[in-house]
Amino acid sequence: MSAMLEMKQVTKTYGDGDATLTVLKNLELSVRGGEFVAVLGPSGSGKSTFLSAAGALLTPTSGEICIDGESLQGKSPQELTGLRLRRIGFMFQSAQLLPYLKVEEQLLYVAKQAKLGGREASGRAAMLLQRLGLWERRGHYPEQLSGGEKQRVAIARAWMNKPAILLADEPTASLDLDRGREVVRMIAEEVHSEGKAAVMVTHDERMLEWCDRVLHLENGVLVGR
Amino acid sequence: MFLALREMRHAKARYCLIMVIMLLVSFLVLFVTGLARGLSYANISALENMPAGYFLIQDDAGHAFRRSQLGAEDFAAAKEAVGAGNAAALGVQNGTITVDGAEVKTDITFFAVDMQGLLAPKLAEGTGISNEESGRAVVDAKLEESGVKLGSTIRDQTSGMSWTVSGFVNDSSYSHVPVVYINNADWQTMKQGALTGNNGTPADVPFNVIALKSSSVQAADLAAQLDQVESITKKQAIASVPGYAAEQGSLQMMIAFLFVISAVVLAVFFYVITIQKTSQFGVLKAMGTRTSYLAWSVLCQVLVLSVISLALSLLLTYGMNMGLPDAMPFQLEGSTMAFTGGLFIAVSLLGALISVVRVTKIDALTAIGRAGA
Ligand SMILES: Nc1ncnc2c1ncn2[C@@H]1O[C@H](COP(=O)(O)OP(=O)(O)O)[C@@H](O)[C@H]1O
Ligand SMILES: [Mg+2]
Repeated sequence: MSAMLEMKQVTKTYGDGDATLTVLKNLELSVRGGEFVAVLGPSGSGKSTFLSAAGALLTPTSGEICIDGESLQGKSPQELTGLRLRRIGFMFQSAQLLPYLKVEEQLLYVAKQAKLGGREASGRAAMLLQRLGLWERRGHYPEQLSGGEKQRVAIARAWMNKPAILLADEPTASLDLDRGREVVRMIAEEVHSEGKAAVMVTHDERMLEWCDRVLHLENGVLVGR
Repeated sequence: MFLALREMRHAKARYCLIMVIMLLVSFLVLFVTGLARGLSYANISALENMPAGYFLIQDDAGHAFRRSQLGAEDFAAAKEAVGAGNAAALGVQNGTITVDGAEVKTDITFFAVDMQGLLAPKLAEGTGISNEESGRAVVDAKLEESGVKLGSTIRDQTSGMSWTVSGFVNDSSYSHVPVVYINNADWQTMKQGALTGNNGTPADVPFNVIALKSSSVQAADLAAQLDQVESITKKQAIASVPGYAAEQGSLQMMIAFLFVISAVVLAVFFYVITIQKTSQFGVLKAMGTRTSYLAWSVLCQVLVLSVISLALSLLLTYGMNMGLPDAMPFQLEGSTMAFTGGLFIAVSLLGALISVVRVTKIDALTAIGRAGA
C-alpha cells in the first residue's frame, strides 16, 4: 500500500538572523495505510511544529511533504484548505467541538463543507456515531457530554470526510487515564476499519499500547527505540 | 447559513437582546425620519405642491422669495420663452389677520397669484375667485381651527384690507403658517398703498418670483437672458424658506447619529463575539473551512438580525402612525421607508466589516498545540 503521509528531509527553522531555532532537522517519516503511529516527546521538543507541518498548516523551511501521494509544495493557501478538508482529519488537545451544534450536526457540518450529499452524509454520520457508541447522544449539545464523549465525537468528526490520515494533537491531554486509553483504542479501531493512517502526538507514555509504531522526536528527528 | 442560524438558535437570549436594541434604534430612525418629513411638509406644503419645478428670482435675494422683486418685463419675457400657461408670477407677503367674530389674531402668508394660471389654488371646498373681483380670498383649511368658515371676513392688520373667504384648499402652508390666496387686483391695491406711502407714485406693482414649469435648460437660459435674475430649483427654494433649513438640519443630524449608533452598537457586539470565538474560528480553519465561508457566516447573522428588527420596527411605525393624533406632523412615504430601511441594513453590514476583517486574520495554525477549553 502507498504511503498516506510521507515526509522527506523536512526542516523547520524559527526566527531569522542570529537567533534561529531549528526545531525539525531533516525529519523523515512514512506512514502506511492501516498504520497508527505515536510520536512521543517532552514539551518543547517540536511535536506541535511537526504536526502542523504534516497537517498543511505550516510550511516547512525545506523538505517535501506528501499526503496520500499528493505533494504540498507549491499549493496556494486555498488549495491547502481544501486538502485539509478532504484528505486530513484533525483532533485537538481538547475536543474543540462547536458549542452550538448537536453531536450529529458536528459531523454533518464538515460533510457539508466537503460538499458531500445529504443522504450519504447522514448515512456515514450514523455509522460513525454507532461505531463510537454515540448514537443515543446524537441530539445532544457538547455541553451535555463528558470529556471522553466529546473526544469520541471529535474522532467521528475527523473521520467523517474519509481522510487519508488522522492527525491527533495530544488527544488525551484533557482526559483521565481510563478515558484517554479508551479514546486511543477507538482511534486505533477506526484506523484499522477504515484502512487509513493516523499519527498521534503525545507526551504520555501510558497511551501507547494500541499504537502500531512508536517514534520519539529528539533533536528534530524521529527515532524508533 | 448552517453555522450562522444554528449559533443564533443556541444563543437565543444573546441574539434577542441585540435584536431588541436594533429594533429600538431602527424604530427611532424611522420615527424621526417620518417626523422630519411631516414637519417639512407642514412647513412648506404650499411650495411642495406647486406644479412648478423652477423659480426665477432676483440674483441678490439669496434664494429667499420675500427679498426678491421682479417686474412686468421679466414676466413677459418668461411667458414668451416657456408659454403663458407655464409661467406664473407669485407675490408673497407675511401678514397677520383677524377673523370677524373670533377674538384671536393669526399669522398667515399672502400668495398673490393669477387665478387662471399655473399657481391657481386647487379648491377643496367652496368656490374659486376670479382675477377681477376684489375682496375675496381662498385660504388654507387649517384656518378653520382659527374660526374661519366659508363666508367669514378676514382683515389684514397692516393694510386694513378685508376679504370674504370663498373657498378652502388643503395642505397649503408656507413657513408653518397657512396661506391666503388673493388675486393680483387685490395685490396691486395692497402694494400700491404701501408704495404711495413711500414715494407717492402709483407704480407698476412688482411681485416676488416667477414660477416656471419648464426644463432646467429653459429656466437657465431665461435667467441668463434677464438682468439680475437667476433660476433656482424648487428644492433650493424650499431650503431657503425661513426656518426650514434649521429645523430639518437638526432632525437630519439626529437621524445621522441614530445611524451611527446602530452601526457602532452592532459593530461592537459582533466584534466582542468574534474575539470570544477566535479559537473556534482557528479550529474551523484548520479543519478546512474556507475563510470566505466564515466571513459570510458573520455577515449572514448581521443581515438576519437587521432585517428582522427592521421588519418589526416597520410594523411598529405603521401601528404608531395609525394611532398618532392628526396634530402631530408625521409622514412616511414608501420610498422614504425603503430608502431608510436599505440604508439601515447597509450601515449594519458596514459595522460588521471589522469583525469580518478580524475573522480573515485568524490563523489556522493556532488550533494546534493549544490547551484550553
Ligand atoms: N512561532 C514560533 N516562533 C518561534 N519559536 C517557536 C514558534 N513555535 C514554536 N517555537 C519553538 O519551537 C520549539 C518547539 O515548539 P513546539 O513545536 O510547540 O513543541 P511541543 O509541541 O513539543 O511542546 C519550542 O522551543 C518553541 O519555543
Ligand atoms: Mg505542543
